[in-house]
Amino acid sequence: MATEEVVNLHAEAHHDAHDEHHAETFLTKYIFSQDHKMIAKQFLYTGMFWAIVGAFLSLLFRLQLGWPDTAFPFLETILGKWAEGGKISNDFYYALVTMHGTILVFFVLTAGLSGTFSNLLIPYQVGARDMASGFINMLSYWFFVSSGVVMFCSFFVHTGPASGGWTAYPPINGMRDIAINKGSGLGLDLWIISMALFIVSVLLGGLNYVATILNLRTKGMTMWRMPLTIWAFLFTAILGILSFPALLAAVVLMSFDRLAGTSFYLSDIVVNGQLLSHHGGSPILFQHLFWFLGHPEVYIIIVPAFGLVSEVLSVHARKPIFGYRAMVFSLMAITVLAFLVWAHHMFVTGMNPFAGSIFVLFTLIIAVPSAVKVFNWITTIWRGNLRLNPAMLFAIGFVSMFISGGLTGIFLGNSAIDIPLHDTYFIVAHFHIVMGVAAFFGMFAGVYHWFPKMFGRHMNDAIGYIHFYGTLIGAYAIFFPMHFMTGIPRRYARFDSFEFANNFAGLNKFISIVAMIVFVLQLMFVINVVYSSLRGRRMKSINPYGATTLEWTTPVEHFHGNWPGEIPEVHRWPYDYAINGKEYITQITPLSEDEVSHS
Amino acid sequence: MTTILGLIIIVCILLVIFYVARTVELTKELKGEADDTESASNAQGYLMFGFLIAFFIGIAWSSVHFLPMMLPAPSSVHGIEIEKLFNMTLFFTGIVFVVTHIVLFWFVFRYREKKGAKAYYFSHSNMLELLWTAIPAVVMLVLVVKGLVTWLSIFPDTKTLAKDTMVIEVTAQQFKWNIRYPGVDKDFGSRKIDTAHIGIATPDFWWKNELGIDWSDKASHDDFFADTLYLVKNKPVLMKLGALDVLHSFYLPHFRVKMDCVPGVPTTFYFIPNETTVEKRKLLSQLPEWQKINPLTGLQRYATFNFELACAELCGRSHYTMQKYVVVVEQAEYDEWVKAHIPIYVGIEKAKNAASAKLNGTEMNISNDSTMVIVDSMTKSRTDSKEVAVI
Repeated sequence: MATEEVVNLHAEAHHDAHDEHHAETFLTKYIFSQDHKMIAKQFLYTGMFWAIVGAFLSLLFRLQLGWPDTAFPFLETILGKWAEGGKISNDFYYALVTMHGTILVFFVLTAGLSGTFSNLLIPYQVGARDMASGFINMLSYWFFVSSGVVMFCSFFVHTGPASGGWTAYPPINGMRDIAINKGSGLGLDLWIISMALFIVSVLLGGLNYVATILNLRTKGMTMWRMPLTIWAFLFTAILGILSFPALLAAVVLMSFDRLAGTSFYLSDIVVNGQLLSHHGGSPILFQHLFWFLGHPEVYIIIVPAFGLVSEVLSVHARKPIFGYRAMVFSLMAITVLAFLVWAHHMFVTGMNPFAGSIFVLFTLIIAVPSAVKVFNWITTIWRGNLRLNPAMLFAIGFVSMFISGGLTGIFLGNSAIDIPLHDTYFIVAHFHIVMGVAAFFGMFAGVYHWFPKMFGRHMNDAIGYIHFYGTLIGAYAIFFPMHFMTGIPRRYARFDSFEFANNFAGLNKFISIVAMIVFVLQLMFVINVVYSSLRGRRMKSINPYGATTLEWTTPVEHFHGNWPGEIPEVHRWPYDYAINGKEYITQITPLSEDEVSHS
Repeated sequence: MTTILGLIIIVCILLVIFYVARTVELTKELKGEADDTESASNAQGYLMFGFLIAFFIGIAWSSVHFLPMMLPAPSSVHGIEIEKLFNMTLFFTGIVFVVTHIVLFWFVFRYREKKGAKAYYFSHSNMLELLWTAIPAVVMLVLVVKGLVTWLSIFPDTKTLAKDTMVIEVTAQQFKWNIRYPGVDKDFGSRKIDTAHIGIATPDFWWKNELGIDWSDKASHDDFFADTLYLVKNKPVLMKLGALDVLHSFYLPHFRVKMDCVPGVPTTFYFIPNETTVEKRKLLSQLPEWQKINPLTGLQRYATFNFELACAELCGRSHYTMQKYVVVVEQAEYDEWVKAHIPIYVGIEKAKNAASAKLNGTEMNISNDSTMVIVDSMTKSRTDSKEVAVI
């Protein structure tokens, strides 16, 4: 179908101002696109770029941790003064750790995950021609890109990128003094600017997602007929809108401390025997503001994965998701509780122990809705007819990772146990499994599943299977043994200063080697995506999986407006699988006469 | 040679993967989109079940291998309570971990795609939802109650502490710990955080009073700095913690103690060490892991065991070097140790006198001599820790 014709058809159906016929140029179609499908692809590719950068940084510091006494001359070739003699300098080690965290948490698992799939699926699955505002959607993407450009530039400033931890705690980051910490100079200024741009991106995107979900649902698409993906994106957007401004406030105040000599976070600081003039601030205030974002942030990362996995499990189990409403209510509970648990990151900051005990209560309560979700996923695959393609395998892998990582959260959430575990490898294992690897698994499940929708072609299954098993085994091989390094402090460039910490050299080497292998496997995934998007098997039917949701009623070829004619009307909930003697019934199929609507 | 061989192997692996991928692609192309995914699902079902078994074997093996290498049992009263809570949580979560994994992977295997098989329509059950909301909620409640009882017992009201509680002040800075003891009067001289006290010593004297110790307070005259944190067995100790420049965290892994040191915000941690360094070594000498020879010293590992103090909050480029030894002794030995220290005030006076004498007299190197005196007074116990190391 020619684009011209389609746009006309589409313009007939809807006479909205932005839907008017307009000629697409290369620039408006591929670069400054306002089409949600193109923006989704842009987020995906940008996210993959940052994932490779972030993972590569981790390989560099794994070299240091695995072989602290070995010189690698090639490091000096690529890093110059940061690796004189082939050994990574301490300053750069901490810059690597900081940037790895920042990039993975914000650019990959926030923008790359939620950005890709919210954009792709919200208009498709609620039955809208595009986002509420295509222009704001485009702005959201380009703010993300510019924030990335600023962050990337910070690698090349002479004092190096930010190196005071991705959490940017003052005072080490609150003073613009490179004698204290090299990365706290220009590198951190750029980090703050980048974060501010990123927050604008998240807010623009989030408002758009909420507006689209609430206002642009097609006829018959009641809230209780939305797929769980859409519920997940709705709660993710709400979390982002309510929490990211706190980070913006926090870093703006920190900039005042750094540049204008105010004392929001600084007090009684003695450097080189000199008392600084800052007085009356509290570093703990920053931690409260930071974690008021920082904890919802981990749910911003994992909740979209919840949605994607619920959908993929149900489609490929050929069975309705178990406990649809319980899934929505547990998401809702997690969203509310996410705002009430932030200080569990701060049990040993000297916070009032009574205040700590309230956060213990809420933190452990949040395990209940999480447990409900896990049991519902497991029940979903019970007595299904499981089509075990790479998307499904990653969804199952997600459930396994979420269990393994979630359970260790019960240790850390209990403040007394947190005393010895805080800032040790136990927590490194915990959060990498539960929000790093698990969110990646959710993202992979989503990419493998919706790839035909994105590109009209299929990914290669053989590489997909290798990618899956390699990543599953590799991720457990890297992070599971870290639980045994309980008590070994994290963020140590080497461990030989301490008797209690230096007996895991063999394990550290092992982890580093596995990390390299897993990195190569991810490159295979990237090649698979790029190659398949250009040369993969073509998608022949519009609904290859026999799924019920609206995105599989649109034509294979993309055009702005999604449906060539009227937007279809929705008659039923999205999980009518294995019912009435049929394998599946799409949402646009009207109810038969004797049928009672599920919702 | 090995590099070339390695490269050849990698290239071969990539070629194999490429051809497998290509073959799969071509077969799929031939079969068409509606091909049966059954055979793939069948193989994946077996592979996933195989993974589960390998996963459990891996966990069992790594537990046997790594458990002896972990931190030894806690050496403080509250540490034992934390350990109990940890084990209780491990019991509950361990059951959930094993059961959910077996069920998850068993379902994957058991319900893998079969031609003609039909999925069972089962969309919700309020009974089940209630069940798996209530059970985790009850377990969580048990853990919260146990946890909070332990947590609040670790932080007693500092005003109601036992009379014989030792107080030690630790002030962290990049990248060292200032450990200050109150001396024989058991009372700290006050500190003044202002420019009149901090950094001011005498114009001709190099030592900077970074802590802002107020010398007009007589109580400060017998306070001393120590290079090793000495504690007394079964005697409660209150750590008064602070930091000069950036965040640090006072971490005693063997005692399960951790508390941030925050510039401008004083923090404390109260605990009771319950075994001496010597006793701990005796205990460890029973364990095979600790009987191994340490290649650095040529001695068995338990023989050189020491409690340690570490920094657990990223504080800059040398964060990982902030190490001090901690030694737990009986009261008598502690008293001896205290007596062996020259108070800071006395050391500084001596150094100043020596410095001004030199200044008036000859052109000898001033700072070197005063350094000797002051360093001697502040790091007297460096020798102590060496002695401890070869007990």
